[in-house]
Amino acid sequence: MADIGILRAAIAPVRRLWRRPTAVDIAPKVGDDQDARAHFRDGLAKRRGGDSAGALAAFERALALDSDFADAVMARAEILDGMGRSEEAHGEYERARRLWSEMPPGAADRRYIFRRQGYFAFEAESYDLVRTNVRSKILPQLAHGNACLARGRAAEALDSYERALKVNAKLPEVMALKGEALSALGRYQEAIEIFDGVLATHPKDGDTLNARGIARAALGRLAEANEDWRHQFELLPQTSSAARACVAMRMANYSAAFNEFGLAIAKEPANPYWLLYRLTAARLAGAPAESVTLPADDRWPTLLLAFRTGQATEEALLNRANSPTRHAEARFQMGVLAVDGNPAAARRYWREVVDQGPPALIEFAAASNELARLGA
Amino acid sequence: MFSVILYGRNDSHGYNLHKRAAISFNALAEVMSDPDDEILFVDYNTPDDHPTFPEAIHDTLTDKAKQVMRVLRVRPDQHVRHRLKTHLVALEAQSRNVALRRSNPRNRWILYTNTDMLLVPRNEKESLSDILGAIPDGFYQVPRFEIPEMLWEAAFDRRDPVGNLAKLRDWSVRFHLNQVVHNYMPMKYDALGDFQAALRDDMFAIHGFDEDMILGWHCDSNLAARLALYRGRVDTLVDKLFGYHCDHTRVAAANNKGRATRMNDQDRFIWNVATPYVPAQAETWGWPDVEIEEIRLDRETPYQRYSAGLDKAIEPATMPFVETSLEWQLFDDLTYDLPHTLPFVCDQVVTFPRSTNLMLVATRPDFVSSFAKAWKGMGFTGPLLIPQECEGLPPDLPGVERAPFAEQLASAELFIFEFGLATQTATEPVRAGRQMGPIDKKRLKVAERLFKRAAATEAETRPEGRRVPRRFIGVNVIYNKFWHTFTNYVGANINPFCSQVLAGLPREDESLKGKVLKFRGRHAL
Repeated sequence: MADIGILRAAIAPVRRLWRRPTAVDIAPKVGDDQDARAHFRDGLAKRRGGDSAGALAAFERALALDSDFADAVMARAEILDGMGRSEEAHGEYERARRLWSEMPPGAADRRYIFRRQGYFAFEAESYDLVRTNVRSKILPQLAHGNACLARGRAAEALDSYERALKVNAKLPEVMALKGEALSALGRYQEAIEIFDGVLATHPKDGDTLNARGIARAALGRLAEANEDWRHQFELLPQTSSAARACVAMRMANYSAAFNEFGLAIAKEPANPYWLLYRLTAARLAGAPAESVTLPADDRWPTLLLAFRTGQATEEALLNRANSPTRHAEARFQMGVLAVDGNPAAARRYWREVVDQGPPALIEFAAASNELARLGA
Repeated sequence: MFSVILYGRNDSHGYNLHKRAAISFNALAEVMSDPDDEILFVDYNTPDDHPTFPEAIHDTLTDKAKQVMRVLRVRPDQHVRHRLKTHLVALEAQSRNVALRRSNPRNRWILYTNTDMLLVPRNEKESLSDILGAIPDGFYQVPRFEIPEMLWEAAFDRRDPVGNLAKLRDWSVRFHLNQVVHNYMPMKYDALGDFQAALRDDMFAIHGFDEDMILGWHCDSNLAARLALYRGRVDTLVDKLFGYHCDHTRVAAANNKGRATRMNDQDRFIWNVATPYVPAQAETWGWPDVEIEEIRLDRETPYQRYSAGLDKAIEPATMPFVETSLEWQLFDDLTYDLPHTLPFVCDQVVTFPRSTNLMLVATRPDFVSSFAKAWKGMGFTGPLLIPQECEGLPPDLPGVERAPFAEQLASAELFIFEFGLATQTATEPVRAGRQMGPIDKKRLKVAERLFKRAAATEAETRPEGRRVPRRFIGVNVIYNKFWHTFTNYVGANINPFCSQVLAGLPREDESLKGKVLKFRGRHAL
């Protein structure tokens, strides 16, 4: 054994005492806005410890606080199934899958982590446990960071990516993800510098071009942003119609967006956003309106579609716009409806999107371009 | 709805492979209910003169399994570029990608599993097609449960998948088989490679399996890591079906050497994976530009092709038996019974690609005309290359190309050398002490010279791009004067005299004798 090995062996018992506790060892914090997550984490810890009844109770506490917490629904289903309550579990498995599938998918032109549907609480906890056991490796940090970033926990994601970069500081994929985390934290200039570095060595990295475009647009550098997206559009294969459509929409190239969304709908007819955006592109490109059949559900994008087709009021729409993203989507569509008859109102709506909406939204980019066209 | 992707080769991978695989193929077919469903079996690097693995066990497969199975045959010459980089004879990543590229584009799902798995829907009324049709997009795994070797070997009937699945439902309770073994994420369960269901679109997006993984093991974990990154979640179908594995550890498989097992680097391919994609192989994964033979078990089977060829070449026997002899005094008698011999010759070629260019050096005109009919009847599309040096053979046979030997040598992919008596007639007795005449001697001398030259120069005269040796088939080369001639140059097995045929690859003999033989063959001395 080498000297360093002897030393390690000697201090191993002490090191174990110093080891950072795993996430699942942390007791649930009652009273803060992370309650549901804390109960979920508690349930996972109990389950791993063989306490099925305790785990079940913890998951039920999590669900009492957030009944749509799909990860907890699934975890509860697995416990029930393992206890022999399979009939009861069956419906819960299905409910978890339905909840996940109903979560809005991300824009198709963005990096893979933003295109996924999920709550990612189980993943965040699981990879946190993995990274305490499989140390000095990239994947656990990366996967943990991705789970956090996808759920809007950008600071935690940044920390994970930085830990991954300590293992290998030169990995462009991890650098790019760090840039995404910085962008999500509003640190756009730092993000752009990182994206510049990645693109210097990988100029055909379409995902990073998209990300830099978003960061540049957030800083008001719209011409540069459009240049990034134009480059990304050229790199995307013809078969990636959804991604091409989304980029075209960002650039306010509505005729291209209209055609590409048509192809995207043929591939994914169940994605209501593709229909919404196709209608929007048609309107802004001056194409004749098409008749549409609305999905028979009350999901948010269906409401947007209803509004676009005159089957829902502005008030109804704003009542359901309970997040900055939804608010921006609603305001953008209001602008689209208003632009022909009342350009000033459209300008006002779109200004609100740009001033208050998340820069990663397609609507943010499209509204920025529309305002530029309108000379606002 | 889904394409199951499996791989293997016609060898002995672990204990009682044939039974395990038949049980598995039949059980997988049994849970398919969509007309687009398919089992894609990549038969990787089985020697050219062997049938593929599913063909070898076809009689143990159900009609349904034969109907849904597409066998994609990767030839040794297509594997050879990897041969020096790996100790393995079958490569998982390459195999699975070859299948993925060629999978039915109408199918939404790709299911990766292995040839020893049985999938049991928990709801007996549901098929796997029903299950996969009803679930949202995602990346799904199920836990693997083990079946003790004694159970599947002793109690399963390979051709009764319904009964086997029913037995498993019973055994799982009676023998407590169902133990879920959790694993570190992204490997949700242990032995995850036995059920990974991914969207076909996702598999194309991430560029398939990582084809740098050529040392065996962890291909499944690498895929899980990359798909987990791509999808974000690893979902379970434990509520829908159970997966059972026919345990086969009595005898270690070829890729299992205990602690001495060579394997792909876990850190590189699992724990330090940083992206779902493998951009370096974005355009090449699954060998899109390589022509891969496809074989069906429900039509144009080897037996159908073989019998169709022979039916065109020979008439049924009219006698209960015919006689010959291997007594020593008949060593120089080169007569042989053509209708009896031809089936053994055809047996040697029927597994080769249909496009094979076959060089035929022969002395007997009736052998050439009969074999030409059989060749065409077996569905071969490649030409028969007959050197101009071979005289006295029938002219203008369809599918035959005549040119100087030296010109044809670099086109030939397979050789037949026939050493008979050019003057033998169909009615004369066989091995009754017949002497050869001047014409016989002249033709045999040519055939011998060409044989020695072809064998001695085989390595340097291969068709462009070919890296594996070509096979030599000798007709009428047992217990006669050409036995030694043939086996001096070709590493053939000892075959029974009755077959009349020997076959093998050119010998690599570095002894003085070998060098002398090579020199003499090369210079026709």
